[in-house]
Amino acid sequence: MTWDYIFVQVANGAVIGIIYALIAVGVTLIFSILKIVNFAHGDLYMLGGYCAYYFIALLGAPPLLAMLLSMATLFALAIVLERLLLTPLYSDATERKDEYGLIITFGLAFFLRNIAVIIFGPYPLKPPSFIPGVQHIGEMTVTNDRLFAGGVGIVLILALLYFMHRTIWGQALDAVSQSRESAAIVGINSRRFNSVAFGIGAALAAAAGALIAPIFSLAPDMGVLPNIHAFVIVILGGMGSVLGSIFAGILLGEAENLFTAFFPDPTRALAYTNAFGLLILMVVLIVRPQGFFGRRHLRME
Amino acid sequence: MLVQGRRHVGSKLAALVGGLVLVSTQFVGAPANAADPIKIGWVGPLSPPGGYAEGVLMKQAAELAADEINAKGGVLGRPIQVIFQDTRGQPEEGTAAAERLISQEHVVAITGEFHSSVFLAEMEVAHNAGIPIIAVDVWALKITAKGYPEVFRVAPNQALIAGKYGEWIAAAGFKNVAFLYEKNDGGQSARDVMLPILDKHGVKYDVVGADPSATEFTAQIERFKSHSPAYDFFMAAYSLAGAYPMMNQSHTLGFAPTAKTGIANSGGPAVDPTFWKNVGEGGKYVVTEVVGLPKNAWNDTTKAFVAAFKKKYNHSPSPQAIENYDAMLLLADAIGRAKSTDGKALIAALEKTDIVLGRGRYTFSTGHTPDWAYHQFMDAPVALIQYDKVNQDAEDAPIIWPRDIADVKYLYLKPGQ
Amino acid sequence: MRGLHIYILLAVAALALVFADRLSSYWMHVAIIAMFYGILASSWSLLAGYAGLFSLGHMAFASIGGYTSALLVQWYGIPIPVGMVAGVALCCVLGGLIGWVCLRMTGPYLAIFTLGFSEIVRIIFATEDDITAGMAGLHVERLFSTTSRLPYFYVAFALLVVSLLLMGVIVRSRWGLFLRAIREDEQAASASGVAVARFRILAFAIASGFAALAGSFYGHYIGILTPSIGGLDFMAVLVVMTVIGGMERLPTAVGGAFVVEFLLEVLRGYGQWRLPLFGIILLLTMRFARNGLLTPLWLRFVQLGEPRAVAATALRDVPQKDPAQ
Repeated sequence: MTWDYIFVQVANGAVIGIIYALIAVGVTLIFSILKIVNFAHGDLYMLGGYCAYYFIALLGAPPLLAMLLSMATLFALAIVLERLLLTPLYSDATERKDEYGLIITFGLAFFLRNIAVIIFGPYPLKPPSFIPGVQHIGEMTVTNDRLFAGGVGIVLILALLYFMHRTIWGQALDAVSQSRESAAIVGINSRRFNSVAFGIGAALAAAAGALIAPIFSLAPDMGVLPNIHAFVIVILGGMGSVLGSIFAGILLGEAENLFTAFFPDPTRALAYTNAFGLLILMVVLIVRPQGFFGRRHLRME
Repeated sequence: MLVQGRRHVGSKLAALVGGLVLVSTQFVGAPANAADPIKIGWVGPLSPPGGYAEGVLMKQAAELAADEINAKGGVLGRPIQVIFQDTRGQPEEGTAAAERLISQEHVVAITGEFHSSVFLAEMEVAHNAGIPIIAVDVWALKITAKGYPEVFRVAPNQALIAGKYGEWIAAAGFKNVAFLYEKNDGGQSARDVMLPILDKHGVKYDVVGADPSATEFTAQIERFKSHSPAYDFFMAAYSLAGAYPMMNQSHTLGFAPTAKTGIANSGGPAVDPTFWKNVGEGGKYVVTEVVGLPKNAWNDTTKAFVAAFKKKYNHSPSPQAIENYDAMLLLADAIGRAKSTDGKALIAALEKTDIVLGRGRYTFSTGHTPDWAYHQFMDAPVALIQYDKVNQDAEDAPIIWPRDIADVKYLYLKPGQ
Repeated sequence: MRGLHIYILLAVAALALVFADRLSSYWMHVAIIAMFYGILASSWSLLAGYAGLFSLGHMAFASIGGYTSALLVQWYGIPIPVGMVAGVALCCVLGGLIGWVCLRMTGPYLAIFTLGFSEIVRIIFATEDDITAGMAGLHVERLFSTTSRLPYFYVAFALLVVSLLLMGVIVRSRWGLFLRAIREDEQAASASGVAVARFRILAFAIASGFAALAGSFYGHYIGILTPSIGGLDFMAVLVVMTVIGGMERLPTAVGGAFVVEFLLEVLRGYGQWRLPLFGIILLLTMRFARNGLLTPLWLRFVQLGEPRAVAATALRDVPQKDPAQ
């Protein structure tokens, strides 16, 4: 066990953690505005990845442009889905909205995953790299794609923060997230912001899908695991806290990497990596249900 | 009244669902009148969480075989109809699918399947009904070791595949192996067969299991890299999509394939249509198994099949595909010889099979030593190949093992050699 | 005639039992699986519908029950029913424990917590394959040595009926009232003297016990168990069944299990389109009939044979929220 080894594992954990955070931040945004846990987020992420792939393969778009196009596509698609499926959430006639949100996104996830096998075919696909090649930093080897995904991920999250706190629309969004009623009193039409929030959340998922596709390849069921990762991060960071997601993403990346790297039984280390993340999730939920950055007024019920 | 309105929607939907159900039952039960086709059942994974990529390849081959048989006038003057059932890699779906095929569709035989655990459930149903079932790409020893007369297997089994890897690793002189396997039926059985052989030859190894849905292996590969003494071989047993990111990361992190460490993957993805698209440079020097004939031994059936498959589906068939193609032709041959579709007659005819198809000359053993030999296609071709060029087709890659059919002098080509 | 619906149900049950042997082997299998899901759906509705505890860990208890019974029978050669009882007992305890641990959680927090629990259970079963055989599948001794499915049909039927009766007694008792009070408003319930903690734990323990019963029967019926039975896929199907039927009543939950299982089998005829079609039907149902397709039908069914005036009060008496307001 050398310091080099520890450095490599910690550094890799940070990189993958930021990538995880990028997937999770959309879940956080959607939760903070619509107050639902989006079980279909992993599948929107999958759709975003495939969209970017086809923009590159069929239209010859450069990868970065393809990512932006994919974000726009998913933004539009998500608004349609939100109008079609989520409107009962805002109606007073709907009781037990938590459950409705869970179930409807569960159903959406099931549908998207299975239709994807038919639409996109069963074989894994991989778009070209954003920047081919690898970097050597000391003993650490990391692909440019990972660095790029991490970098763009941070930029996107910062942009989201800027949007939320420094623009009129964002502040209105933030107001809706804090109190629907108060927002309505000052004249904010919260319905429109529901659509916008779901759209932005999906666009972030699409960005994550496009950025991660060259790293992990695309497959119709690729969203299952990231979805669970996203939940872990959202809980750790505190439901609804964007900054908390970044922190929690890195925490999860580190936890998983260090577990795989140092768990004493090497035969089981990798097999239990995901379980370890989930164990942290359960412990945090028991000990500190509002997460590390949670705003108390966001508690449900 | 609002109450009324809402309930109205409910009953409308009930009617909608009911209507759909009615329509579909008619679809399902639609009796085919034209010269009553002979029905053959196909089972396999076509959707997640099963190995749907392999399942679709097998299904395509079965369709192609049925088309060809029917184009030649069918069997016993009747056309063949294949009824496909998606089993999603779940045993209980296998039970339901097999029951449906046998008691609703009245198929005369069943073929297909990619997951051993699912096949074990399906073959119980076939066994109870006395319907022959040909295992296409399932490798667990238990399948034929159970000794059911209805069960035949055209695939090699783990003793024939993982056994070859074990012998080859020892012969190629590797001393210290990192063994990574996917925690499912394929990975586990590969581990169970291969490790005793490595023990026998005094090859050291460390074993690591992984969740089949995992795509991030960086930490594990770094852990492999830091191991002392260094591993000289990386053996992976992966049959699902995780294989590609795993090989990619192994390559970019400089673990394997390198001059220091070789790499192999057993389980199928390294011969699938999008292998090169996913792994690129990382695929060069990878060793994998091919369960079809080596190209220089291809017969007319093989050549015709490969050409027809490429023409119809625009990509190369995988060895699993030709297994399924042959399984269909074997059934047609047996029905023709039995001059009947009766289960017992078919089983008797299958036992007397002696026909040259896409994977060589088929016969089924009737002996029980070892126990898995019963109704196993003993001469099922298995060869280890090693890619020596990027974007190489599996059939063009040199065979390195077994030695009697090897194309090259070396046992393993090291990068940079 | 009061209670006509009970006589109708009894008559249907009797007919089903008498004519069961006419079913083809395939439809009998479908019926058995539907009854397996029926037990799971009704016990989940006890948890999620009555007590408002939206747990995604229900299938994990089914898998724990299944593996416990299978392994005990394999190791110690105990009779299968004893193994099943052991599985049920273990899951009651474990379920109570989970219920205790997540006492402070509600809504999505509880859902995600139990999701984490069930995934961990699945991963453990898949990883410790020297004990559980992992994804290769554990060979489980079957309840009967016959090849016929008929005895399994009767056993499944008996288990379903007994489970429903037991749960019916619970939800009609004061306990049921307390559970619903907790669902509606935990603080108010607590203020009016309901021991919220005790009843939440109890709900988890009871529901998990029934899940284990279903799971252990399933293992001894199919003859092979894989960890995926405790996975999210099965859980999703279970949620769908219960919600489509109507999660706030036991009979509608069971009805949902039957309808969805039947639908899934009928859709087999559509090959690859089976699951996407199922997804569409699912989304439509949830979007437009949030309180379940069967709830209005059931309410009307219950009123059969009752004088109109009584029927009206009966509707109001039903303690659950009316499906539409």
